[in-house]
Amino acid sequence: MDTTRRLTALAAGLLLIGSLLVVWAVFQRTNPVALTPSLTGQTEYCLTCHGDLPEISTSHPIKSFGCVICHGGERLALDKNLAHSTLRGGANPSALSVVELSCGGSDCHSGSPQASRDHIQRVMTSIQATYTGAIANILYTFGAQPDLKAHFGAFAVIDNETSTGITSLDAFESSKEDNPSIQTFGKNCLTCHISAAPREGDHFDRLTGCAACHTPDVESFPEGKTHGLTTAIPYTQCNTCHNRGNYDLRSMTFVERADQPTDRLHDYYQPIAQFTRCEWTLDCVDCHTRTEAMGDGDLHSNQSEIQYIQCKTCHGTLNELPQTYTITSEDDLALRLAFLNPVVDLQVGDTILMSETGEPLWNTHVLPDGTYEMTGKVTHQQFTFRPVMGTQCKQNPDEQESKYCHQCHAEER
Amino acid sequence: MIRCVAWLPSLLALINLMRPSFFHHLHPPTIPAPQAQWRYTLGAGGIAVFLVLVLIITGALEMFYYTPTPDQAAHSVQTITYHVTMGGVIRNVHYWAAQFLMILMTVHLIRIVFTGAYKPPRRFNYLLGLALFVIVVLINFTGYILRWDQGIQWALVVGTNLLKTIPLMGDYLYEILIGGSQPGSATLIRFYAWHIFGLTLLAVILMGWHIFQVRRDGGIAVPPPSLRTDLQRITRYELVRREVLAMLLTSTVLIVVAGFAPAPIAAPIEEITAFSSDSRAPWFFLWVQQMLKWGDPFLWGVLAPLATLTVLVLIPYIFPHPHESELGRWFPKSNWLARLILTMIAVLVLGLTLLGV
Repeated sequence: MDTTRRLTALAAGLLLIGSLLVVWAVFQRTNPVALTPSLTGQTEYCLTCHGDLPEISTSHPIKSFGCVICHGGERLALDKNLAHSTLRGGANPSALSVVELSCGGSDCHSGSPQASRDHIQRVMTSIQATYTGAIANILYTFGAQPDLKAHFGAFAVIDNETSTGITSLDAFESSKEDNPSIQTFGKNCLTCHISAAPREGDHFDRLTGCAACHTPDVESFPEGKTHGLTTAIPYTQCNTCHNRGNYDLRSMTFVERADQPTDRLHDYYQPIAQFTRCEWTLDCVDCHTRTEAMGDGDLHSNQSEIQYIQCKTCHGTLNELPQTYTITSEDDLALRLAFLNPVVDLQVGDTILMSETGEPLWNTHVLPDGTYEMTGKVTHQQFTFRPVMGTQCKQNPDEQESKYCHQCHAEER
Repeated sequence: MIRCVAWLPSLLALINLMRPSFFHHLHPPTIPAPQAQWRYTLGAGGIAVFLVLVLIITGALEMFYYTPTPDQAAHSVQTITYHVTMGGVIRNVHYWAAQFLMILMTVHLIRIVFTGAYKPPRRFNYLLGLALFVIVVLINFTGYILRWDQGIQWALVVGTNLLKTIPLMGDYLYEILIGGSQPGSATLIRFYAWHIFGLTLLAVILMGWHIFQVRRDGGIAVPPPSLRTDLQRITRYELVRREVLAMLLTSTVLIVVAGFAPAPIAAPIEEITAFSSDSRAPWFFLWVQQMLKWGDPFLWGVLAPLATLTVLVLIPYIFPHPHESELGRWFPKSNWLARLILTMIAVLVLGLTLLGV
């Protein structure tokens, strides 16, 4: 009888200690940090662990967006594995496989072309995503298709409202090809389109999807701390794919550029390229437009069909001044683009340059004396420049493409 | 303080002594000392009753936050787990109490067969016990489904599809249990009702009956007085003390396990028919899942488990009973066949379970 009593006392003590231990363990846990973003109205607790991350961009304030609307994940979970179990695209919700869920929606980035909100539709059909040019060229070269038209893309895609005549692409699968060169091409040369993981090496380091371009300098971030979206994309980001070397068509391998540049002049283009001073002093995005980079919504067979900005876009020709227009509406695309990267104080009433297809070159200004001013979207540097008209330029009026400008104005390196 | 705690059981016994109540129909006033030993009963039946009480209390607490709709269920489980004060611990206690209950019921069943306690007049109570066993398995399964997350998705779809394989009435059974052509909100609300009400009510009634029937059958199984060597009995005070000790020890194990071993949880189900990464049945059905790999789902998923249950049901009816003098102790020689059969079933189920882990 006494044994039972003593054991009972002991068991009661154990229960007390056990309970205190569990209560102590429960209160050791980090206090949850709640956030109820205005766009979803649903409380999420991601900031319990991720409070140290910088806001991704001024256009996506955390108070409005929170985390889950883009990233997915379990908003209530405080356990890392569960919280992360339903993340879209792992750490990168802009991966093309999930981009529609993460970044899409008619109010966001898959809206109407009229509202300039069709980013996702355009990117999915763009050369940078489909890689059609390279694939079509290789297939044609090795006799696997009769023309240079795009039949295959990095992934299958349909374009119902085409103006190029290409309504769909099949997914390119090199394993189904007979020619060993095409198979090798598939193995070695499909790392540049933005849905593919990059080649190994710091020079190639980038994310995929939207973040391939809009989240620059990935290699400079500590592990897992990359959190930023910007339209101020430095040339170095473009260079994670471009200017990094060449494909050797005989061996179907990528040959990295051999030089190890230490300054911008030498780093910008690889040694074989011909360029002018303004090209390497500016960043790629200072001249090349959103349509060129992200596509125009149609499927194309080659980069040359979509890349159209030339020297003359800003400088005009001997006979013509560059096109300009005056901003009349608060909702003008130029103002919206300037808002995303406010390097210029653009106002309704300002006159800016305009590309041949009508795209606003919003980082330019027409100055009262008839010259122009451009502000670097990344460097914030200001440049003034003149039109060709009225200068000593001896160029043949029929030869107005950039390559003819390079004949006189190329930079020695 | 320790003295106070040690007095508690006596106090409880005293209260019972003062006010005779219905409790006295269930709780014996005295039992034979040799059969009151831990090493005889293993305390399994008593601890199982305590676990049921724990489950009812923690389950009732969970009901304050749980929402039985497909879009809310898993989120409300996450809310309980992560955001309700001590909610995680309470959910873990509920989970572990349920799993321990399965184990203790099995131990209790093995004890009954291995001591021959199912011998008439206790045959009927043996059947009541088996019915309780089956009901508790169903309660456990319906509770598991209430999570409505990707961890239970496979078991829900495959488990309920087994119903369809039953000839003639399979589709009808499926329809009334699932409430549609595939699991959805009708299924969840049905399972919720079965879990918290239908099956639980049945289990509580059968449990009361089961305990009451022990007394109706003459208390714990012992040889008649003339065949006993030790006629000593323990008082209800001592019995209550031992019960309290068992409850304290069980509570300690429960609370510590619950504090440091979280109950399973996963992301909400997005599409019920989608592929689920976790394609395992709950642990107590792993043996059935393993058999399903052998072929015909009706044969291995429905008939084989039912056949196993039938063998258990038949134990008091077709195998030799132990002799009266052999009651009240382990391994009575004369029921070796029943013990062998149960051992075989246990080894088979355990082996299949381990294969499925």
